[in-house]
Amino acid sequence: MSSDILNQLKDVVLEFDIENAEAVAKKAVEAGVSPLKAAAALTGAIREVGDKFGKGEFFLPDLVCAAEVLKKALPVINSAIEKNGEKANKSLGKVIIGTVYGDVHSIGKGMVATLLYVAGFEVIDLGINVKGEDFLNAIKENNPDILAMSALLTTTAAEQKNVVEGLKKEGIRDNVKVIVGGSPINQEFADSIGADGYGATAPEGVKIAKKLLGIS
Amino acid sequence: MQKGFKRKFEPIKILSSSQIEQIHSASLQVLEEVGFRYDSDKALKLLQSNGCAVDYETKIAKIPPDLIEESIIKTPSSFMVRSRDPEKSIRLGGNTLYFMNSAGARYCDVDTGIVTMPTLEQNNEGVIVSDALDTVNVFPSYTPYFEIKGVPPVMSCPVSCAQRMRFSTKPSRGAQPTDTFIWETQMAQAVDAQLMGCVEGAAPLSLAEDACNAAFYYLDAGFPIYIASGSIMGGSHPITVAGASVSHNAELLAIVVLLQCIRPGCGIIANNFVSAMNMATGDLNFGTVAVALHQMAYNQIWHSLYKIPINNTGSAFSNSKKIDYQTAAEKLPLAMCSALSGANLIVLHGGVTGELAYNPILAVIDDDVASTIGRIVEGFDINDATLDIDTIKEVGSTGTFLSTKQTRTLWKTEDYMPRVFDKTSYQEWLAGGQKTVIEKAKERMIDILANHKPRPLADEQDREINKILSEATKYYKKKGLI
Repeated sequence: MSSDILNQLKDVVLEFDIENAEAVAKKAVEAGVSPLKAAAALTGAIREVGDKFGKGEFFLPDLVCAAEVLKKALPVINSAIEKNGEKANKSLGKVIIGTVYGDVHSIGKGMVATLLYVAGFEVIDLGINVKGEDFLNAIKENNPDILAMSALLTTTAAEQKNVVEGLKKEGIRDNVKVIVGGSPINQEFADSIGADGYGATAPEGVKIAKKLLGIS
Repeated sequence: MQKGFKRKFEPIKILSSSQIEQIHSASLQVLEEVGFRYDSDKALKLLQSNGCAVDYETKIAKIPPDLIEESIIKTPSSFMVRSRDPEKSIRLGGNTLYFMNSAGARYCDVDTGIVTMPTLEQNNEGVIVSDALDTVNVFPSYTPYFEIKGVPPVMSCPVSCAQRMRFSTKPSRGAQPTDTFIWETQMAQAVDAQLMGCVEGAAPLSLAEDACNAAFYYLDAGFPIYIASGSIMGGSHPITVAGASVSHNAELLAIVVLLQCIRPGCGIIANNFVSAMNMATGDLNFGTVAVALHQMAYNQIWHSLYKIPINNTGSAFSNSKKIDYQTAAEKLPLAMCSALSGANLIVLHGGVTGELAYNPILAVIDDDVASTIGRIVEGFDINDATLDIDTIKEVGSTGTFLSTKQTRTLWKTEDYMPRVFDKTSYQEWLAGGQKTVIEKAKERMIDILANHKPRPLADEQDREINKILSEATKYYKKKGLI
């Protein structure tokens, strides 16, 4: 019975079944399945999706839909873990992500956010057109390990520099690693604004995030 | 059966009904008043018995319009070509679009454009690569190379046919010169397959003895026939598109008449291979406006009026010496015009410089080109799943369609993602070694050659092919051709 439900949890992820994700998670909790095992089934399945994406067997829509399944199912399981007085698996790190002010492009930023989530990071997505002060406030409030900023226009890339300067002014630059990305960005630009890392692609962004936090 | 691409919309029409009638009537008038030269007494006798006025001295038959009209009606609008692997058979005609491999005399070096005589191994590799490409549905004769190192010229067609039988399960067109149809028919029968027989006219207004003999031989074997009358506007055809349309139409109709007299109801696909003359050099000009318009007018007449399956060869070659921008700029517009105007078969993959050169790397690139063209003629569906207003409502003005079920389930069928075109970001391209499409196509070709294993012939079939080749060699030696 328990293994049946664990398989069902795995299946909702692998079959991208967003509609039934929450219901299956609730069913697992009601059936008394170990919430830690249930969480492991979900995260194991999303890793499988991530691996297939990396190999070119799955594509972006598969990855994003699988992540949506997890976003529906995992809160139910995590509540059960808390109720049991247990501790959920620790995330690899906390990331605040957003597209900078003046820029409304969301796809690339969303892809990085999804891949970070799938890789096991806790992700706080501030969305698009995020003002510098909003980035700074979110960092003070959430104390993340990483700040990831996206800019898709040459005209808005400079805003990434403004945020880094803001971090310095507030005296919190050393509290957080800064990653930048977007089509007009390159390593030279990242170095020039004092960012810690640059990812040319979304999967590379995840690699850089892990590297900066010393995760192999 | 290979499914090809199904055209879901009406072909483009560039002629009015009265213009079609003008070209058709003029074609009938040419065949009735000027006639057509058949270099075969056997063919002439048969035509005479069917109502043609025959002059045995000039070998010209004047064909009455009603015989032409009857012959058109007898010709089916679609027919099967059976392959040795039933899954690779094709049904030509209707609204189906297939692609045929192109060919070249010699192997073209991708870096230098220099052509060299291909070895038998290079020939076989070319066949294996095209066998692996989904959009190569059928091979013409002497494909991929007209010449093969160490093979006597008169044996190049039979040897080429034998290698296609061995290294591909896809259907082939036979050849007609120097009695090669005898050996190619025997080889097809040995592997339990059909060929598209080949009967090619010699413009203006004539059919050589070999072609007449091939017509009788291939039809006796029960094979459908591919007809053509390759010519050059300003040389063997009038310089005007309208005049060349009449001449070409008349030639192909004269061949249709002969074939329907030999075997009423036989399947025929009529090829358009008319090129323009380079008035500075006298060479063939490929990919030009006149050729595109000629093919489009032809497709409209044969598709809508005659309802006979049609092939276009205008996109088979470019005048470029290397695989480059010119190659694409000359081949693609012609192929697109053909597809949109109703062609059932388009010759495309691998042909480089005129008819002089071929390279399988270009065939790999053309696989993406053909897939793109094919998907365009398939159009798009409008139904509950593709409209899906609920998804538009759900996403509203703040969400993303990327995470919807509709995107995940339909993105592959709504578009085509080329396999070797560079779709990476600039940064990825830099990091990946700045590869060109030619380099990426070469990688795919190497992968195909390492991993694609065409279904082999049975030992007995292979022995039979060798026996037929040996008989052909003896035959040509006796004739003093080897």
